[in-house]
Amino acid sequence: MDIIKVEKLVKIYRKGEIEIPAVDHLSFSVDKGSFLSIVGRSGSGKSTLLNLIGGLDTPTDGSIFFHGKNIAGLSRAGLANHRRYNVGMIFQSFNLIYSRNALENVTLAMVFSGISKNERKVRAIRLLEEVGLSNRIYHKPDELSGGETQRVAIARALSNDPEVILADEPTGNLDSQTAEEIIDLLVKLNQLHHKTILMITHDQNAAEKISHRVIRLLDGKIKEDKIITGIL
Amino acid sequence: MKLDDLIKLGFANLWRTKLRTVLTTLGVVIGIGALTSMVSFGTGMEKNITETFKKNDLFTSLHVTPGKINLEGLSEGDVSGLLDDSQDSQMILNDSILHSIRQVEGIELAYPELTFRAKAKILEKEREITAAGIPYEMKDYPPFNQITFGSFYDTDSSVVVLIRWETLKRMMIIVEDPDDPVRLNFNEEDQDYIILPPDSLIGKPIYLKTAVMDYGGFAFNPMQLFGTKPKLPVKEKTTTFIIGGIFKKTSQFSNQNIKGDLIIPFNTAKRIPRLGFTNIWDALGGGGENEGYSSIYVRVEDISYMDQVIRTLKEDMGLNVFAIADQLKEIRQGFLILDGILGAIGTIALFVAGLGIVNTMVMSILERTREIGIMKAIGGSEKQIRWIFFVEAGTIGFIGAIFGLILGWLVTVIANKVANSQFLPAGEPPIDFFYFPLWLILGAIVFSIILSLVAGLYPAMRAASIDPVRALRHD
Repeated sequence: MDIIKVEKLVKIYRKGEIEIPAVDHLSFSVDKGSFLSIVGRSGSGKSTLLNLIGGLDTPTDGSIFFHGKNIAGLSRAGLANHRRYNVGMIFQSFNLIYSRNALENVTLAMVFSGISKNERKVRAIRLLEEVGLSNRIYHKPDELSGGETQRVAIARALSNDPEVILADEPTGNLDSQTAEEIIDLLVKLNQLHHKTILMITHDQNAAEKISHRVIRLLDGKIKEDKIITGIL
Repeated sequence: MKLDDLIKLGFANLWRTKLRTVLTTLGVVIGIGALTSMVSFGTGMEKNITETFKKNDLFTSLHVTPGKINLEGLSEGDVSGLLDDSQDSQMILNDSILHSIRQVEGIELAYPELTFRAKAKILEKEREITAAGIPYEMKDYPPFNQITFGSFYDTDSSVVVLIRWETLKRMMIIVEDPDDPVRLNFNEEDQDYIILPPDSLIGKPIYLKTAVMDYGGFAFNPMQLFGTKPKLPVKEKTTTFIIGGIFKKTSQFSNQNIKGDLIIPFNTAKRIPRLGFTNIWDALGGGGENEGYSSIYVRVEDISYMDQVIRTLKEDMGLNVFAIADQLKEIRQGFLILDGILGAIGTIALFVAGLGIVNTMVMSILERTREIGIMKAIGGSEKQIRWIFFVEAGTIGFIGAIFGLILGWLVTVIANKVANSQFLPAGEPPIDFFYFPLWLILGAIVFSIILSLVAGLYPAMRAASIDPVRALRHD
């Protein structure tokens, strides 16, 4: 069953007279509970695609259906709701608020969704424990290692219990061993918690090992769409 | 997003840049301090005047004078009243008019105003004073119901009199007041004051010297031929009274409606021998003996009767009526203008502080662009982001208002002390030049918050409209 369906999606950036198509008439759909990796060179439109699906950016043309509802036509408030409840985002540069500790970073997302103070705290501590940070709850990001910081970001992405996790090169700033741990965590989220995962990565080989499907983009178009068999 | 979360978030964000927040808030503190201290001066003066009216019973007091000339018409160029001798408005305030006035519904008491100049002598200290005849009925009304030492006289024909504490001081006699000890100032210390215990003057004699005609003075004096200056046909007559009570100002503005320094029972005052004129024209015109009273004091039962009584006296009886309470409206209008001017000066300081808030918030947005992007990425709506910045600006305004009020209050306390010690003579009750009514306190807080919110409007809109994709790339 499709959870996300992209139809003839176009995103054009304009710089003066010049038009740069970052996403060029893309169409594909994502099954609920699947792990989809998007690979491609820099500038192939991977991040733009993820931002469009995440509702951070709006398309120039085309549609993005989430559970059959076109988010391309949503108002800015509607997009905020989509980001708040439907998707959780993880970034290469972690994007935590450095003046706040791990717990506060995780609870902030729940502040926006109006969850009560006690519920926020209970839920955030549970999530931080799940990502293996029970002893780092009150540490600020600059007191954590890269891997730990990204775990906080994953806990935050899960805080409003979204169905979809959008991960934009989550291991890009990590050493290979830590990167492996983060990938394992995402796989666990997919397999045990049935989260649908869309992950951008440079490493096609690694992607093929863990994903159900790998899409390779080039100049905003799908160059290759590969279904991987034999993944648990 | 709940309000307590917003406030907590706002405080946390402001606390991150402590110095900048404190400096910006300080601007508001100074603005509010300037505004409130200035406006409180206006309100303080207004309060003093209003309280003077209340304390002195001026809201229920009227002064009636003969309806001779239409003063209003005169000021508008109508001189007919001056030229027409035959008009019946040239009435004399005699006992029958006084009787008619007393019959008017709502009038509690009416008596002719009787004052004259005389020399008073107590304990070898002598000074020229104004004596006033006041009826016994006045004992129940301010300020005679609040005599500091002694008591009011028992009858209108008594020889017991009352004297002002301040008059005694001018006569170099200080009666000690245990509730309010006198501190002589630098200039007064060397002077020859007699200082007495509180009740020691009660029962003591006071000698009143009045001028009377000396008909013998008209007799021919041959010495005048040899250059001796002619003498006025006037001599002094001394009457002895007993001091029954002393009344002292309880505030700088009390006792304003007592015209005299010395209060004498009404009938006794009438009988004191004295010249019946106060100037040479009266004397040449035959004196004031049969001309009636110059004015009548009227006390109305209740303020609600005021308009009705004034109408009756003016329209039905053709008298001139002066109610000082009427002046209060104009005085209040004057104070409103004063408040406005003082408030405007204070508001300028507050507007400068408002610009400081705008500056701080814009700087904050520049520094927190990435954070705003993050908040949007995790589900923060534009409205929520806007509110976060609104609350931060409002918090600066609220805290600034609280500390500004404290600053304003401190400034006024110091200014009040300085003003009282520098400008008022010793023994005079202090004046509260400043007053912080509840509306000023609440108004200052609300005004400061509104100004801060207005100052935060542009930064908040700007923060809310930040493109999250760009913001996340921001360093």
